[in-house]
Amino acid sequence: MLLLSACWLLSATTRSWNSNLLELVFPKYWPKPVYDFSKNPLTKQGIELGRRLFYDPVLSRDSTVSCSSCHLSFTAFTHVDHPLSHGIEDRIGTRNSPVLTNLAWAKHFMWDGAVNHLDFQALAPIAHPAEMDNSIEKVVQKLREKASYKNWFFQAFGDSTVTGERLLKALAQFELTLVSANSKYDRMIFGQEKYTEQEQNGYLLFQKNCASCHVEPLFTNHDFEKNGLPLDTSLNDFGRMKITKLSTDSLKFKVPTLRNIEFSYPYMHDGRFKKLREVVNHYAKTTALDRKIELQPNEKVDLVAFLLTLTDREFLFNPDFSFPQD
Amino acid sequence: MHKIGLMRKVISLLFLLGVAFGTQAFVLCQQKDCRGVWDQGAMRDRHEEMVLHFQAMFQGKIIALEEPLRISPGDSLALHTLRFYLSNFVFLKNDTVVFEEKNSYHLLDLENENSLSLEFEEAPNMDFDHIQFKLGIDSLTHISGVMGGDLDPTKGMFWAWQSGYINVKLEGFSEKCPTRNHEFQFHLGGYLAPFQSVQTVSLSVPKEKNLLLQLDLSPFFEQVDWAKKNSIMSPSKESVAFSKILANSFSVHAK
Repeated sequence: MLLLSACWLLSATTRSWNSNLLELVFPKYWPKPVYDFSKNPLTKQGIELGRRLFYDPVLSRDSTVSCSSCHLSFTAFTHVDHPLSHGIEDRIGTRNSPVLTNLAWAKHFMWDGAVNHLDFQALAPIAHPAEMDNSIEKVVQKLREKASYKNWFFQAFGDSTVTGERLLKALAQFELTLVSANSKYDRMIFGQEKYTEQEQNGYLLFQKNCASCHVEPLFTNHDFEKNGLPLDTSLNDFGRMKITKLSTDSLKFKVPTLRNIEFSYPYMHDGRFKKLREVVNHYAKTTALDRKIELQPNEKVDLVAFLLTLTDREFLFNPDFSFPQD
Repeated sequence: MHKIGLMRKVISLLFLLGVAFGTQAFVLCQQKDCRGVWDQGAMRDRHEEMVLHFQAMFQGKIIALEEPLRISPGDSLALHTLRFYLSNFVFLKNDTVVFEEKNSYHLLDLENENSLSLEFEEAPNMDFDHIQFKLGIDSLTHISGVMGGDLDPTKGMFWAWQSGYINVKLEGFSEKCPTRNHEFQFHLGGYLAPFQSVQTVSLSVPKEKNLLLQLDLSPFFEQVDWAKKNSIMSPSKESVAFSKILANSFSVHAK
């Protein structure tokens, strides 16, 4: 009798929990990710929980806005059409939402690098009055009242208690899986596909004029640069200087990746350009760069043709990244 | 066949042993209320702890939240919130480290009595004459991603809009503070140069198992120029300066 009850007790304390460890897949020649996976190992269940949270408006104060409201999978995980992204109650923010791509390699988050780690990134939109207008404390409280989340947190972490740490780690896990590495550019690198003459010419122009900041293969140097855009006095956004308080950082913004740029319009931190043509025209005109970019009209067209080879349809339409169906 | 049968026997024997041991541990645990024994599956004597008990002081007196503190007529103040991190506890003897607490992060909150007693299980068996700790959270922890326990961002001690722990939250009321309801808020933090606010505190300690760790807020309030600075909400020069004043205002006494 004693043994039996002890058996029951044991089984009650060791409810079965298995997580399936996964490894991030990316091309071998890419640099090593900067994200420390040892502190937040990717698991099937963790990623799935992160995906549910990403698509759940429960994160916002009145449960109307989710991460995907401003980061749509079909548009490279950004908010198209709107120069400045809008959040709860149609409130408009001060910046253009960035794409969520290849985040395991990102060192800074937000246009000014205000956030220093992927884990912490979600705290900013959750708390921002023009985005979700909520707080992590309230989100945790709301999730604790939902039986389904208790189950999903248990599956992901072996413990059904919802905490801020687990919520942020799960979101990070899902976001880390958003790897884009199968564009025509990637297939060209691997010799599986050939560029047209125009694309090849555009690629050479890119390497000569753009690649020092938009470093291949991730198409960013993960740093902050001045790109010659004049200050929009209706926003007075000085970028990186807000964080470092250094005048040398005035009007510096994070260099975004160019992957899937065809779908991530409008462009720049304040979304001031709707077309890629306008972006290229800006760079060909500005005198604020270290080295003046000279481009003939036909070269501009070639450069844009190259940029379109950075579109990764497998990434844009990956069912694993879209709204969880069940 | 034979081998499999033997294996089965061995497995069931191991299982029974495990159950028996587990049951015993469980029973003992209930008797002695020895937290953690069941989790670890091993018996351990409950040994004494060294306890550092925190007190906030003002002009030589222990103070509580909301208690009116009179400096002079027309100049009184009260604390609404005092929450801060103490981290990286190190014990030393003759300048040699004898013990370093692992995962050493403690959020002390004057509102939560339990948070004010820091227990160090290993310490009683050691000989030490000095303790060192940090007021706030170090830069390395700041860039290591989200953590749980006292560092969980739900504790209200993390800036959402610009990554960083709030090392110290000191809020209250001062008659001299020219703000709405005479309220002040000092949220001290910042981990990036030149506004690194975390401070190291080093104190010689008497050889006792129960110690009082006191923070005297008098120097802090003496330095505040209410008209000029009554609120800090982001990393800044002032955040560093006020953190230094607080770090220099700790002392340890035998209980």
